[in-house]
Amino acid sequence: MSSLLLRHVKLTHPQVALMLQYQVRADASTASAAAVSNKSIVQTSPVVLDNRKPPPPLDAERMRMHPRIGNREIVGYGLKGKPEYFDLVMFPCPSIRWEADTPAIAALRNKEKGDWKQLSVEEKKQLYRASFRQTFAEFTAATGLWKWAVGWTLIVLAGLILGYDGWRRIVYNFDRPDSFSEEKLKKQMQYHIAARQGPMRTFSVKWDYETGKARGKNKYWITSYQTIDAIT
Amino acid sequence: MALLFRSTLIQSLAKTTRPMWMSMASTARRNMSSHNKETDAEFDQRWKAYFERPNIDGWDIRQGINHMNRLDLIPEPDIISACLKACRRVNDHSLAVRYLEAIRYKSNTVSNNVWPWILQEIRPTLNQLGLSTPEELGYDKPELALKSVDDM
Repeated sequence: MSSLLLRHVKLTHPQVALMLQYQVRADASTASAAAVSNKSIVQTSPVVLDNRKPPPPLDAERMRMHPRIGNREIVGYGLKGKPEYFDLVMFPCPSIRWEADTPAIAALRNKEKGDWKQLSVEEKKQLYRASFRQTFAEFTAATGLWKWAVGWTLIVLAGLILGYDGWRRIVYNFDRPDSFSEEKLKKQMQYHIAARQGPMRTFSVKWDYETGKARGKNKYWITSYQTIDAIT
Repeated sequence: MALLFRSTLIQSLAKTTRPMWMSMASTARRNMSSHNKETDAEFDQRWKAYFERPNIDGWDIRQGINHMNRLDLIPEPDIISACLKACRRVNDHSLAVRYLEAIRYKSNTVSNNVWPWILQEIRPTLNQLGLSTPEELGYDKPELALKSVDDM
C-alpha cells in the first residue's frame, strides 16, 4: 500500500551507503540492557585495530563495530556522539570501552551480573581497566612540566645573553691604542715615579729614590723595568 | 531562626554546594536569574527519578553522569545512591567506580572534608551493593604511569 503512495526512487550507490551507515549505526549501539550479553563480540586478543589494511566494505555486520575503533563495545554518547575513547575530568564516561572483550573479560562480565561481593579486588580492577584506560588519579596527576619549562627558559635566556656578549666582543673588537705599547707604558711609569704616585701603599713605595732602583723583590718592577731612567 | 541560618561548615557538608543565599532563603523564593526556577528539592527529585527508572540503560546512566558532572555542584548522596543502584541494574561495576572517582575529584577541589562525608553517607548503599570505593581498589593514587595523550 505504501508503494502506491511513494514513488520508487532510484538511489545512487553513495546514498545507499549513507542510509546503510545510519541504519547499522543505530544497530551498532550495544548499550541496551537486554542485548548486551548476546551482542558483544568475544575474541582472543583485545587489540584488533590495523590501520594498514584497507577499510572493510560497508555492510550491516561489519558496520556493527566501526572500523576505526575495532570491536570495542559502544556504551554511551560520550562527548559529541562519536565512538571515541577519552579520559577527561569533565566527562567521566567515554562512549566506548577501552578494551575489546576477550574470553577472560567476558567471563568476568558474567560474574559481574551476580553479586558484586563475590568479585575480588583484582577482578574489579581488571574490569575497570577493561573499560577505562586511566584512573582519575592517573590522568590528573602532576606532570612536572613546570621544571621543563623553567629549565628551558633559563637556558634560552642564558644562551641569548651569551650570544649577545659574544657578538659584541666580535663586532666591537678594536685594536688597542698605542699607549699600551711597551715603550709608552714604560714612559708612563717613569712619570708616575717622578710624580710620586701611590707613595704610601701602592706604587712609589716600591721605588727606592736614594738608589734609583726598585725596592724589594717585586717581579714586575725588577724584570720589566729595570732600566727605568728615573726622572727625579 | 536557627533553622534558617545553618553554619557555613555544616552547610558545605550537608547540602549541595550552592551559594549561601540560596540555602538561607525559604523554599518559595525568587531566583535572581530567569533561567532556572526550580528549587533544590525539585532538582534532587528530578535527578533521583531519572536514575530510579527500573529499565534504565547504560547509555542513559552515562548521559546522566556526564550531564551532572558538568553542573556546578556535587550531587546529593541520595542522587549518588540512586545512580549506583542504576549501575547495579545494568551490571556495570567499573562505571560505578568511575562515577565515585569523578565525585571524589570534584569534591577535593572544594574541600578535604567533603569526600569522607559523602562516603559516610553512601556507605549503606556501598555495603548493600558490594561496591568498592576508589580507595579500596587503590585508585586514589596513580597506579600505572601511562603516557599522556598530549605527549603522543
